[in-house]
Parts: sequence; structure tokens; C-alpha cells
Amino acid sequence: MKTSPSSCSRAAADTFAVLARWLLGAVFLYMGMNKALHPVEFLKMLRQYDLVQSSLLLNSIAAALPWFEIFCGLLLLAGVAVRGTAVMLIVMLVPFTVIVFRRALAIQSAQAIPFCAIKFDCGCGTGEVFICRKLLENFLLIVFSVWLLAGYGRELCLRHSLMSYTAKTSLPEKGGSNGSI
Amino acid sequence: MAVIGAAFAFGANQVSPRGLALTRNYFPAGVSRPVPAATGIGTPRGVASTNTPASSPAQLLAVRLKEQGLQSVDGSQAEQLFHDPRFKQGSIAFIDARDEQHYREGHIPGASEFDPYYPEKYFPTVLPVCQAAEQIVVYCNGGDCDDSESAAITLRDVGIANQKLFIYTGGITEWTTNGLPVEMGGRNSGNLRSTNK
Repeated sequence: MKTSPSSCSRAAADTFAVLARWLLGAVFLYMGMNKALHPVEFLKMLRQYDLVQSSLLLNSIAAALPWFEIFCGLLLLAGVAVRGTAVMLIVMLVPFTVIVFRRALAIQSAQAIPFCAIKFDCGCGTGEVFICRKLLENFLLIVFSVWLLAGYGRELCLRHSLMSYTAKTSLPEKGGSNGSI
Repeated sequence: MAVIGAAFAFGANQVSPRGLALTRNYFPAGVSRPVPAATGIGTPRGVASTNTPASSPAQLLAVRLKEQGLQSVDGSQAEQLFHDPRFKQGSIAFIDARDEQHYREGHIPGASEFDPYYPEKYFPTVLPVCQAAEQIVVYCNGGDCDDSESAAITLRDVGIANQKLFIYTGGITEWTTNGLPVEMGGRNSGNLRSTNK
């Protein structure tokens, strides 16, 4: 039995997408844990961006964001609500990237150094990083998220496994009962 | 999905022993700290400026302290207070406003630990020391660190007289740079380490 080249490439894309999903999940879990374990440090980092003037709002972001990232990471690793989680990642990653980029521009204008030589702790949970590397990382994470949103990476999903298991176990019963509920 | 995530996030923060209190003002000196025009618009905190000397972190700190009605001491004054016999008698107190890990790695000998982000934990030990003292020197890392300000304002808010409170602007960084001793571990552990000038 031969497999067509298109089905082979689809299978390869699916395998790679599953790896990308696990990578995204692991990255968000790691970054979230780093922040959740040191919430005060994250709070100070957030303050540096001067995004909000209200302490309640600042505290809420610093308190919830790390755990929200952990939540997203766990969902991706388990493969539950993958597309919904991908949307949430994009909604978080795009503004983060813009904010970090703007801060890097401010640092560049203050220090008069080449853009890619800028290194600072962006509060992303990975310590001090070179800005170009950080932007590239975020770009890749956004690309992976868009890919998952497009419906790839749904192999080895807990949700699909459970559903297919439920479907398999419920089918004979359905037949046996002559279509009755 | 987002609602479930938010509920999980706030719930986890509530349960976590390190969780943040949402309604507390962790920055009594101000959530937003406007940067004077000399440093350039948009210059972020923690970024060394190449502008005029008036924009050095120490001078920015002096401006902020004045706005908060707090007094400051420099390195030589801090050293003088440290060697003053009244320090041993408890009339002068040193308060370390950094977190527990940094405090244990090395603090000014005899300084009391007071992390202003978890004040309730430290009030039982710090308040008697502050009430007994006539002069209280509060410090953190130095530079643009403002945890010493937060600590001083928190202490002032619970009734410690403002005129007793002094911010050591150079902080532990200047202290160690000046070759003065630091104590590791707990307060009065006797585990002293000399620092090289």
C-alpha cells in the first residue's frame, strides 16, 4: 500500500506541529513558573514599563499573568482547547513584543548603543536577554501559535484521545440499543 | 476559556504563599515614577543615562526623597553611625530593605531584616528595634533601588517618627565597595566577611 506524497507531508507537518505545541507549552509553563515563584520581582519589572497608574491594576496583572501562562502551558502540553489557547497566546504575545520593543528603543536612545547590543531583563521570566534574540523568540512563538490556531498539532491531544475513546466505547452500545438513547 | 484561565490565575495567586495582595499599594512612593526631563522622555528605570550628571541615579533618588519628606545619609555618614557606640546600645538601628535571600547573603552587621513587600512578617521583630532607636538608617541595594524608600514609608505609616528615618542612598553596593564588613546569615550571627576596597 502506497502513501501519497501529500499525506506524507501532512503527517510530517502534524508531527512537527505537535512538537511545536509541546515546546510552546513547556516555554509558557517555565516562564510562568519563574514569575509565579518570584511575584515581587515580576511586579517590580512590570512597574518599570509604566503601563498602568493604578496599584490595583498593576497588582492584578502581576498576580494573574504568571498563573495564566502556566494555565496555557498546561493546556498545550495536555492538548486541551488547543486553538482557544493559541488565540490567548497570540493576544498575550503580540502586545508583549510591542512593549518590549518600545522599551528597547528607549534604552537605545538613552545609551546610544547598537540595537542588538541591548541586553535587559524584560520580565519575561528568562532573566536578562539580548533584545534581538528576544524578539526572534517571540516571533517564533507567535508563528507557532498561529500554526496551532490553523488546526495543526492536534495529534496526541488529551481531548481528542478522550473523545475518540468515548466514541469507540459508545458505538457498540448505540448499535445494540437499536438507536435508542 | 479566558474566563476559566483568569479564575485559575487569581485562585492560584490567592492560594500561593508568595501570592500578591491585590489591594495593597506595594509602592507607597508611587506606582509611576516620573523621570525628570533631563534624562529624556521615555528613559526607563534602571537604565544608565548618558545625559548630564544631574540625572545620575543618586541625584534622582535625592529628588524623590525630598518629595517624600525623607532624609538621606551618604556613605561616610552611614559608616560614622555604624561605628557610633549608640549603635551597640540600640539607639541607632540599621534596617535592610532587601529580600531574605539577599539579606542572608550579606548585610550590614547588626542590621534588621525588613522586606517591605511582606511587612507583616517582619513587624514583630523590626518595630521594637525602631521604637527603641533614635536614628534609623534604611538601605537597599543603592543606585535606583527604591525599596528603602518603600520600607521607610511603611515604617512611617505604622507610627515610626519621620525625623528618625534616614535613607542610606548608596546602599549595600556602596558599603561593600568601601570595603566595610558584612554579616552573613541572620542578625548578629557573628559570621562576618570583610569586603575588598
